Amino acid sequence: MRAIGKGSLASLLAVGLHFTRIILLAAFIGLSIAMVVVPLVSLFMSAFGAGDIGVDAGDYIEISHHFVTFSVMLFVANRLLEILKTLRFGSPFVGENADRFRGVGYALLIGEGAKVAFGFLTLFIDSSASINTSIITWLAIIAVFVLAEVFREGARMKEEQDLTV
Amino acid sequence: MGISIKLDRVLLERGMSLTELSERVGVTIANLSILKTGKAKAIRFSTLEAICKELDCQPGDILFFDDGETSANAAE
Repeated sequence: MRAIGKGSLASLLAVGLHFTRIILLAAFIGLSIAMVVVPLVSLFMSAFGAGDIGVDAGDYIEISHHFVTFSVMLFVANRLLEILKTLRFGSPFVGENADRFRGVGYALLIGEGAKVAFGFLTLFIDSSASINTSIITWLAIIAVFVLAEVFREGARMKEEQDLTV
Repeated sequence: MGISIKLDRVLLERGMSLTELSERVGVTIANLSILKTGKAKAIRFSTLEAICKELDCQPGDILFFDDGETSANAAE
């Protein structure tokens, strides 16, 4: 399979990521609205004595957790698309891509850190919400940071090669 | 400071243009310009050999080491 061009793995990944981004964007918008609307509706209903919509603290934590997760996924999808764009133009070994990979690493770190924080919060409230983290994810985050540094060195080597006469 | 290139001076002495040198040594003008303007980070032995052969000179005629003190002493 070709590395770049029509029918290549890069172009297939780009198409897949574009669709994924649309879904993630829709989920992100939905969750953003839910983050604002659910507490307000609950507040108004209890203020006017119209009953309870049955949303507890655990549900708020779960909504917040999903919001952070989808925000991170959207950020990662955007960075990956930018990286694929440089690959399609034939110059993936640039310093910007190293920064993008590092950004992906930080985003995953924040997402996983938030997951741990939300999981910790569920311990103090009476909720059925269950948020777990996995060692594989942490290893994947480390792998992304390693990849970012490898890319940075690759970009430096590419620049040196370009300036070798 | 560091390694400086005096390719333009040697070219002038030989009355040769960069385009002509490019055609003779088989290196693109873009790459020779990188070399001439001192932007190059490295030079291959094969390129240096071809340039020296065509310009009938030694590598030392093209490459100079300037540690800063040399130019300061020359100024004095």
